[in-house]
Amino acid sequence: MSDLDDFKATYFDECSELLTELEEQFAAIQGGDRTSDRLNAVFRAIHSIKGGGGAFGFSELVAFAHAYETLLDHVRDGRIELGETVTVLCIRANDIVADFVNAAKAGTKLGAGYGADERQQFDALTSGNAPEVRAPAGGDDESGPAMDEFDLDFVPVMVNLETAAPVPAAEEAAMDDNFAAAPLVADKPQWEIRFAPHSELYARANDPLLLFRELANLGELTVVARLNEIPPLADFEPFGIYCTWDLTLVSPTATAEQIAEVFEFVEGNCDLSIVPLAPRSVTSKGDPSLADLAAIVTPPADAAEEVISFADLADAVKKDMPKRAVPVPAPAAPVAKLLKPAEAAADPAPSMASEDDERRTGPEDRRGAGVQSIRVDLDKVDRVVNMVGELVITQSMLTQQMDDTLRARYQELVRGLEVLAQTTRGLQDAVMAIRAQPVKSVFSRMPRLVRELAQKTGKKIKLETIGEATEIDKTVIEQLSDPLTHMIRNSADHGIETPDRRKSLGKPEIGTIRLSAEQAGGNILIAVEDDGGGINRERVLEVARHKGIVAADTTPTDEQIDQLIFAPGFSTAETVSDISGRGVGMDVVLSNIKKIGGSVHVKSKTGQGTRMTLRLPLTLAVLDVMLVKVSGSPYVIPLSSIVETIQCSRADFGRAPSGAKVLRVRGEYVQVVDLANRFQMMSEADLGNRFVVLCEAEGGVKIALIVDDIIGQQQVVIKSLEENFESIDGIAGGTILGDGNVALIVDVQGLKATKLHKNAA
Amino acid sequence: MRVLTVDDSRTILAMLHHTLSNAGFEVLQAEDGQKGLDVLASEDVDVVITDINMPVMDGIEFIKHVRASGEHNSLPILILTTETSQDKRDQGRAAGGTGWIVKPFDPEKLISVIHRVVH
Repeated sequence: MSDLDDFKATYFDECSELLTELEEQFAAIQGGDRTSDRLNAVFRAIHSIKGGGGAFGFSELVAFAHAYETLLDHVRDGRIELGETVTVLCIRANDIVADFVNAAKAGTKLGAGYGADERQQFDALTSGNAPEVRAPAGGDDESGPAMDEFDLDFVPVMVNLETAAPVPAAEEAAMDDNFAAAPLVADKPQWEIRFAPHSELYARANDPLLLFRELANLGELTVVARLNEIPPLADFEPFGIYCTWDLTLVSPTATAEQIAEVFEFVEGNCDLSIVPLAPRSVTSKGDPSLADLAAIVTPPADAAEEVISFADLADAVKKDMPKRAVPVPAPAAPVAKLLKPAEAAADPAPSMASEDDERRTGPEDRRGAGVQSIRVDLDKVDRVVNMVGELVITQSMLTQQMDDTLRARYQELVRGLEVLAQTTRGLQDAVMAIRAQPVKSVFSRMPRLVRELAQKTGKKIKLETIGEATEIDKTVIEQLSDPLTHMIRNSADHGIETPDRRKSLGKPEIGTIRLSAEQAGGNILIAVEDDGGGINRERVLEVARHKGIVAADTTPTDEQIDQLIFAPGFSTAETVSDISGRGVGMDVVLSNIKKIGGSVHVKSKTGQGTRMTLRLPLTLAVLDVMLVKVSGSPYVIPLSSIVETIQCSRADFGRAPSGAKVLRVRGEYVQVVDLANRFQMMSEADLGNRFVVLCEAEGGVKIALIVDDIIGQQQVVIKSLEENFESIDGIAGGTILGDGNVALIVDVQGLKATKLHKNAA
Repeated sequence: MRVLTVDDSRTILAMLHHTLSNAGFEVLQAEDGQKGLDVLASEDVDVVITDINMPVMDGIEFIKHVRASGEHNSLPILILTTETSQDKRDQGRAAGGTGWIVKPFDPEKLISVIHRVVH
């Protein structure tokens, strides 16, 4: 059942979008915006989740969603006021719906008791307002309430089902003439149906012919059109309804329900009586009253000429014109047919079969005209991304192969290559844009987190979000949720002070956490900023010293102390709480962010707050780099971290008191890393002919890398080392150059970290 | 035969598409009533299946608009609904809906209901 699996995948995708939307809507509702648009959107979301869930038989989910939906319906039309209590109940209900969705996704059940409290509250709320609305109980293994709806729908059908009742005396004489005299001895049950459509029936595009066709599927049907209401032509109204029908259905199997179902859609739009007659044999002679009837038709199943007359009748019915009298065959033939035993019922109608054939030969599977976007498997997009990456490499390889003599000789080719380069670049951007998504999908989960945190900590916190529309690679987005959650927890737990304390400090009682996203060059900056007390540096340093992260004799700067919260193993015992201290420190945030090629920077001002910034690459697949040589091997350094390049002979080296080599750049001392040494290779070039690549690592800390040669800038496609080889300290990955050689990507952040670690140890 | 399906739920649209195209129908799709009207303005369809609860333009408004134009008086419109209360469905019928299909629909049932309202 892979189709079903596909639908399920679509459904769960859709559910997660709808749940996100619910979050947003309730965030706005809590903010006081209770417009009917919002309430309708909330209702629709739950309605859709329920609707799809019913299709897959997720009965627990459907039962809960149904009860919740009933509540929302009451809220929507004002029967229940959306006060604080109801809002909180709804938010909890959203969580429960999410749990049910997740359980359904995992193929597990949460049990009948799950969400029972909330459902009781829904029922209490809704039954107080409208006793007639009762949510059906969702049994565990039943098909769920939605499945029952068809049955429910039948109950109120206002078909006049006079089961077992005798034909009322008031019924017309024609009927009595037809049937009353017949001997009641045969073995076939029979139904008499009188049908008089109203004009609404036609206005809703219902068609008597179709009803008769369906009835004919139940047994042997005789249709008699009653035309005595037809006025003289002069009095004819174009849309007047003048034709009614008497039908006789002979069927051993048809039930009252089946017949009622045929007329289900026209209930209320016609006069209808359905009367079972005692079984009898159809042996009566042609009745005199039949002669008065202008048309008698048998089901289309039997013979070609009757199909024609049936169709003609249909035409006549549609146009409500008296011409129907013309093509109708002489009564004798159909009556004769009528008198024969039912052999037709067994045969499927041939006229419909031909229609079926037509249907099947029709054009297949054309996408709707209304669809403006398509959903594509991410794997397919990644394949394109990869191939475009290879294309970029090939293109740069071709460009490299062009030496000056070739350039001079093949100017057309050169021009072509330039165009190719441009197009490739454009293609690359376009492909990357496919993967990009607004950060909104992550940001929208945060208001709820902040609300919960505020509740748990007893603090008053408001969340501001800025730049939700900023787009970033989908993979990055997916990796963003956990780090952001952790950072916000940290801000709420450690940053924002209690309302009392804030008051005494002269700050507004309500603390603010600001979540923002912006694009800066090839990076996306995502910041979590609070107006709390800032990092308690004394305590951080104390803990770091205690844990041996910082040597007792070193005195780190404030900035370095702030960075310590990201150090591995820095777990602040004092700050372990229900919320943030779960044994996972900010080092996890850092390593998660590093995994997706980003970095974290923290800036804190005592008494004024903390700002943590995530710097993330726009895309994960392609990197702008500077190609350098170290001991004859090519290395690449991400352009985004390079500040400037300096020739070694002009650089101003010195020694720090610790003996480490430093570089003086415009009055500032910078740590020096000789890449040849660092990667344990011998450099043949003397220092005077080498270059310094000045890089900026996280937190604005600069680091000077010494390389043998600088070759140039280019774009490379990142290949993971972990996937192809193994992780190497100081190397972020590999790439294949235009000439086919492999170059390693220098991990500037990693070089700095290992260096600092060594110093500290 | 061409069916226009109007629903804001991708899941339902996908399932309708699957069921209907397997049964040999040509399927057109729209995500709300307004888009449904747009499709009807440019395409001939034999039957419409529409959801009630939709953003932008709900199913009831959609049906009203279709009928009001006068061009589609005999176009069968099936209302797709999970409403337990009959209000919505009755509103849909009053607006000119021909019949209804209760979600979740059984594929066979869906096809048979369509055949009930289409020649």
